[in-house]
Amino acid sequence: MNKLSKSIIKALAIGSLLPMSAMSLAQTLAITNATIHTASDKGVINNGTVLVEDGVITAINPANLNADVVVDAKGAMLTPGLIAPLNVLGLTEVSAVAQTNDYSDEKADMTFKPALAFNYLSGLIPYNRKGGITTAVITPYPDKDIFAGQTAVVNLSGEQDSVEQQSSGLLVVIGAKSKGSRAVSLQTLMEKLEDTDKALKKAEKAKKDKKDDDKEPSREEQLLNAVVKGEKPLIVSANRASDLLHLIELKKRFGLNLLIADAADAVLVKEQLAAAEIPVIIDPMSDLPGSFDGLHASLGNAATLSKAGVKVILHEGDTHNLYLQRFNAGNAVSYGMSKEAALQSMTSVPAQAFGIDAGTIEVGKPADLVLWHGDMFELSGYVEKMWINGKEYDTKSRQDALRDRYMNKGTMPEAYNK
Amino acid sequence: MPNLKPKTTSLLALAVCAALVGCQQSEPQDPKVSYNKNPYPSTYKPLAQNTTLIKNATVLTGTGQRLNDADVLMVDGKIKQVGQNLSADGAKVIDAKGKWVTPGLIDVHSHLGVYPSPGVQSHQDGNEMTSPVTSEVWAEHSLWPQDPGFNTARAGGITTLQLLPGSANLIGGRGVTLRNIPAKTMQGMKFPDAPYGLKMACGENPKRVYGQRTQLPSTRMGNMAGYRQAWIDATEYKRAWDKYERDYAAGLNPQAPARDLQLDTLKGVLEGDILIHNHCYKAEEMAMMVDLGKEFGYHSGTFHHAIEAYKIADLLAENNNCAAMWPDWWGFKMEANDMIHENVAMVDAAKNSCAVVHSDSAKTIQRLNQEAGKIMYKANRNGFDIKPEHAIEWITKNAAKSLGVDKQTGTLEANKRADVVIWNGNPFSVYAKAEEVFLDGAKVFDIDDPAYQAKSDFMLGQR
Repeated sequence: MNKLSKSIIKALAIGSLLPMSAMSLAQTLAITNATIHTASDKGVINNGTVLVEDGVITAINPANLNADVVVDAKGAMLTPGLIAPLNVLGLTEVSAVAQTNDYSDEKADMTFKPALAFNYLSGLIPYNRKGGITTAVITPYPDKDIFAGQTAVVNLSGEQDSVEQQSSGLLVVIGAKSKGSRAVSLQTLMEKLEDTDKALKKAEKAKKDKKDDDKEPSREEQLLNAVVKGEKPLIVSANRASDLLHLIELKKRFGLNLLIADAADAVLVKEQLAAAEIPVIIDPMSDLPGSFDGLHASLGNAATLSKAGVKVILHEGDTHNLYLQRFNAGNAVSYGMSKEAALQSMTSVPAQAFGIDAGTIEVGKPADLVLWHGDMFELSGYVEKMWINGKEYDTKSRQDALRDRYMNKGTMPEAYNK
Repeated sequence: MPNLKPKTTSLLALAVCAALVGCQQSEPQDPKVSYNKNPYPSTYKPLAQNTTLIKNATVLTGTGQRLNDADVLMVDGKIKQVGQNLSADGAKVIDAKGKWVTPGLIDVHSHLGVYPSPGVQSHQDGNEMTSPVTSEVWAEHSLWPQDPGFNTARAGGITTLQLLPGSANLIGGRGVTLRNIPAKTMQGMKFPDAPYGLKMACGENPKRVYGQRTQLPSTRMGNMAGYRQAWIDATEYKRAWDKYERDYAAGLNPQAPARDLQLDTLKGVLEGDILIHNHCYKAEEMAMMVDLGKEFGYHSGTFHHAIEAYKIADLLAENNNCAAMWPDWWGFKMEANDMIHENVAMVDAAKNSCAVVHSDSAKTIQRLNQEAGKIMYKANRNGFDIKPEHAIEWITKNAAKSLGVDKQTGTLEANKRADVVIWNGNPFSVYAKAEEVFLDGAKVFDIDDPAYQAKSDFMLGQR
């Protein structure tokens, strides 16, 4: 991994300035005696060893163990790092302080790239590592347009090169409106896709007829082309069953790489969603009828969808507390989802759906790994160690510093306690 | 701000009368002017109940005790006994081996019913954002008993909850404490004889809402001025009524002060009948609110949200203030920037403290046990040794104290209301579920029996 070697060089160069463990500088890392939850079709490997070289998983249960650093997991649970979908990590510090918010702009159009504003020093990043989260899909918030802008993929290393994909997908929001008709939103989306599809076919034909048009497509056209070709995920926030059915049709018609977020009524059209292989991004803790678009929210929905064969991605909506995602998953387990499915809904399923090269413990994957103390879903469980691209990160945040300051009182005012 | 003009006039009139006291001796007394302090009384009736004996459970009593293989006996809607090898003639026996039993959970901060689901504009009844002091409004008058959130909260073990007005105003109005029973009317849910709460709010919300309208308060010092003026008005009002009472008792025929709905509630606080529930995040603001209470002779009550309570845990304990807190909400406002996960534990550690975990959320009210659990485990990794039998007090006993209903509920002690939850296991687990919930000894929820799963009118028949 290019990026990793770069960050290792960087770490070596300024290593003495940073309180990093020896392990983070290691070229090879072996995690032994782990209960490896691969989140892949290989399932769980007991007493397993994961070998990491240059930030990449190079072997599982290698015949010979030769590593610079060996971590004995003592049987603990090792999982892929968790992926937090659809939040504004790095795009906000304090919600009510407008100057800290960069996820929305009245001038923004669908090409809006909030990732340019990503703040790798955000205090929310180390805090949310407490939840074992190594990757986030960050999103614009829509202003007036149904096209909110482009999502991006970032890691939670807090390093300068945290943005992994600046333009990973297109976010669209449809559904209930306080003014006007949702039909206009749907129509706008359909017509954009139709027009793009037509233009693409026309261009294709022109190419065949060797009548190449030199005109460079606009940025918006390029983005829509990628969406219609299925190269870029189209993520649509929608809830009501009637809206979901329209979206399912659109996927069939254009062969989109479609994800549906929120999807409160997904349980009503679960067979169609499963058949169309449309992943849904849902908050498993949502169980109240927040609106007339969401009369079917229930704590059992994650399990119901998962059992119906729908690809489920679990979502925590509070960017400041993305760390809660694993507890949400634990509750989903409590309401009938299998633990394996719950883990995959935070790792391999979002990785595949959003096109992120992570989410499973397999040879060749980046070493985004979490070693858990206890049960990862439990309130008593916690991150023992975690790695992003093979480098170890801790979970200490400003909150821990505040606690330590006020717990360890001296004779001087706390302000002297640093 | 209340207009004191008419009352000033009547005070003057009284003064004149008092000066001419001799001439009044022969004047016959008009009927005494008084008003009903409880005009919307509770009609709550427990559901039909049997003598019930829960056997062989792990019991957290809410008094700091954990009893293994213990029994809980409920008779006539009250806790009769907690202990081992209990028996009772004709009791319905529930074998709770492997299960845990706790007091019914209590949420001191909810907006269910006043900001109900669905959250449509027509339902936004929780905050009278038209004036910085609206102590004349009562949350109970906004309550929609069909909020589906009452049912989901009950499924999470909530048996008592306080509904509060929102926090836009310096003084937002009265809160009301409810029994979490399905009912057609507000009165049917009202906790009999529970004191009213008065919602106050510090910090960013009032100054933002009114500052945007270029009116007081637009600053934190404006907030303080607003509270002080209100309490000055209330003090004058109380003095006028006290004098009226005194003169009437002395056989005079004084003119009663003009009634003021806004000041009635504040007077109720000054008389100790209404408890303060103060939305207040920051250490320096809480400390001033404690002094504000002393300035005007009332108790500053419970601080809600109390993000920085850990910084002044001793001060709160010394002044007998409860602090009601979240485990981890933060970052939505500047005043919520200094959250720490151990806040509740640090407040709790002070001698004579009153640490409470609250929800302020239709979602987390369903899992107050998990909210407390997150805190307990995190604190125990950072120097604390908090046991489940203690952590349960944050959502039972201490919450009952905050609401002034601790003589009636919040612990499993003899003669208290039999508000009881049977859990499928340790309630401080992500997998914990309330299996059966009892309110005054009557089963109001059963996870396995649809006959005990209430459904709101709103949800009935929805396609």
